[in-house]
Amino acid sequence: MTLEYFKMAVASVRRARFRSLLTMFGIIVGVSSVVTIVSLGEGVRQQISTQIGGESQEQLIVVKPGKQTDQRLISLDAFTALSQSGSISNKDWQDTGRIEGVSSVVPVGVISGVATYENKEYSGNIIATTADFPEMFSQNVEFGAFFDEDNSKQNYAVVGRDVAETLFEENNPVGRPFTIRGVEYRVNGVFELQESGTFSAVNVNNSIVLPHEAAQANGSTIQVVQVFLKASEDSDVNKVAGDVFNKIKANHAGQVDFSVLTEEEALQSTNEVFYQLTVFTAGVAFISFIVGGIGIMNIMFATVSERTREIGIRKAIGATNVQILGQFLVEAMVLSVLGALLGIVVSFAANALIRISTDLQPVITVEIAIAACTISVATGVVSGLLPAFKAARKDPITALRRDV
Amino acid sequence: MKMPIIEINELSKLYGFGDATTVALDDVTLNINKGEFIAVMGPSGSGKTTLMNMIGLLDRPTSGDYKINGRKVARFSEYRRARQRRENIGFIFQSFNLLPNLTVIENVAAPLSYKGVRQAKRLKLAAQMLEQVGLRDRDSYYPAQLSGGQLQRAAIARALVNNPSIIIADEPTGNLDSVSARVVMELLSEIHKMGNTVLMVTHNPSLTRYADRIIYMLDGAVVYDEASTVGEIPARVQRAVEALRKSDDDEKLANVSAMMEMMPEKHLGGSSPAEKSKLKKSKKKRGKKKK
Repeated sequence: MTLEYFKMAVASVRRARFRSLLTMFGIIVGVSSVVTIVSLGEGVRQQISTQIGGESQEQLIVVKPGKQTDQRLISLDAFTALSQSGSISNKDWQDTGRIEGVSSVVPVGVISGVATYENKEYSGNIIATTADFPEMFSQNVEFGAFFDEDNSKQNYAVVGRDVAETLFEENNPVGRPFTIRGVEYRVNGVFELQESGTFSAVNVNNSIVLPHEAAQANGSTIQVVQVFLKASEDSDVNKVAGDVFNKIKANHAGQVDFSVLTEEEALQSTNEVFYQLTVFTAGVAFISFIVGGIGIMNIMFATVSERTREIGIRKAIGATNVQILGQFLVEAMVLSVLGALLGIVVSFAANALIRISTDLQPVITVEIAIAACTISVATGVVSGLLPAFKAARKDPITALRRDV
Repeated sequence: MKMPIIEINELSKLYGFGDATTVALDDVTLNINKGEFIAVMGPSGSGKTTLMNMIGLLDRPTSGDYKINGRKVARFSEYRRARQRRENIGFIFQSFNLLPNLTVIENVAAPLSYKGVRQAKRLKLAAQMLEQVGLRDRDSYYPAQLSGGQLQRAAIARALVNNPSIIIADEPTGNLDSVSARVVMELLSEIHKMGNTVLMVTHNPSLTRYADRIIYMLDGAVVYDEASTVGEIPARVQRAVEALRKSDDDEKLANVSAMMEMMPEKHLGGSSPAEKSKLKKSKKKRGKKKK
């Protein structure tokens, strides 16, 4: 019988295609907004987790200035750390490199200044770091090479794709000289385009990366906004993180004005950001589900009263109240499920649009699609119940007498 | 041996409250035997349709009791009434009442789907029924594509598909031309000959020739109940028909009322003048309502 209801419902929805589409609108908006936002969060999470730490992510330790009082305040962008109180000195990160079990240290030091090349200026990120930078961020160099331990005293620079295209106006500006606050640097390499771009911990596309030693030697002011450390494979990452914490705490005379996070904690904090966004969207979506549900309820009431005579006939030929109820309930559910499916289609389209127009790479998971459908079915049932009851309780004689 | 399939005992139905109360059925007592073809006649508002709705379990009585197939059905729950309708009753309506969005064969098969019969079997049975009413070649048409006579034949097929013990036809030829009406009546007659119980409400006295029993109703009561021979129009009805022939076209609209006037037995009920005036009032009201 359920199959019968389903067939009847599909036939009835098909008869009034435009009206059904309008009815489903609320559900479509609800589903597509939830799916899109959650897929954005999921995409960013995947981008970050595949990016930082490279091969052995679980060995990652992140040091940030400022005390971690509330995880939600920690942004995924390294540069927002600029606004944090407290600081990490060069001595701090250099000291952590000597801790047992730390295999590599990559500080992200920010140098204020503008890059100048042939009267053109570029104001991107200027970062001072160590030779382990590419490995830490799984960032390959497309042309030229990154600096290594041996030439880290040279005035070398590795630039991102956007810098190459905007400042030098060519794909491969390797060898070109440019100046930062009067100091001349030479382009030694160009990074591959970083897919995740803006939403990664360090956006290399608009960065000019300098060797830390050289930058320091040239007298630049370097503010370390974040330090990425990797514990060696055979060490306990939590123990190493503890040692790092104690070392910096000792350097800061016992004051904890910084935070040490393991990979898990760091990801959690970025997840927190998206969690908040998701909660907000869920609120919006909840409202659109309510509106969509009311839309379905409204149209179902109209349908029931339009089809009063049909209900009378069906009762006369032996339909029980429960069977009439089932028919209209399934119809409401079909409307909502169709709405959900269309919503998912819309979110796939939005997904493609986002991928084309931004650096984000949203990922629609099966779980979220199923969850959205489930919520829609629930909406359909809830909003279809009242009209279906009305239909089921119609008096067959009155219903048959209606000449519609 | 005659077997009562329907036993009605002092059945009454009132509509409305207080002064607005109308009596649709007034202490009707009636036994209907298996295999009878009953023509129910009477003016508009005489309670014919209400009686049919009672027997068809679409309506509940205000008081009194009745049995169908030996079961007391007056206090049946909604669910059991629906099941009874589906298993024992076949409805044929004046306005056909086929579902416009289903094909003819789907319409005929619809009662079976509520019974839980599988689709393949459902369509097979429906096809058989359509064969019987001569519409096998129209099975995938939609109701809008059929003529009135074909629609009513499809409706008859639908009424029969559950193999019901009682067939209720409320003015089955009311919307048909005389040729289609004849085909439909012949079909009902066939069904009767196969041993089915048929209850037919009609305004057309000439259709009584198909019935073997005629019931006249007035103001919610059965005022006359006589056996008749199939193929003949009873003398009383004959007189009414002749009277109608003489009258104007306008008056034909009220033909049955005219027929009732001709009947000396109309006072059979022996009601007091006060009661009669009350009934008359209610009759008028119902007349208005029908419009």
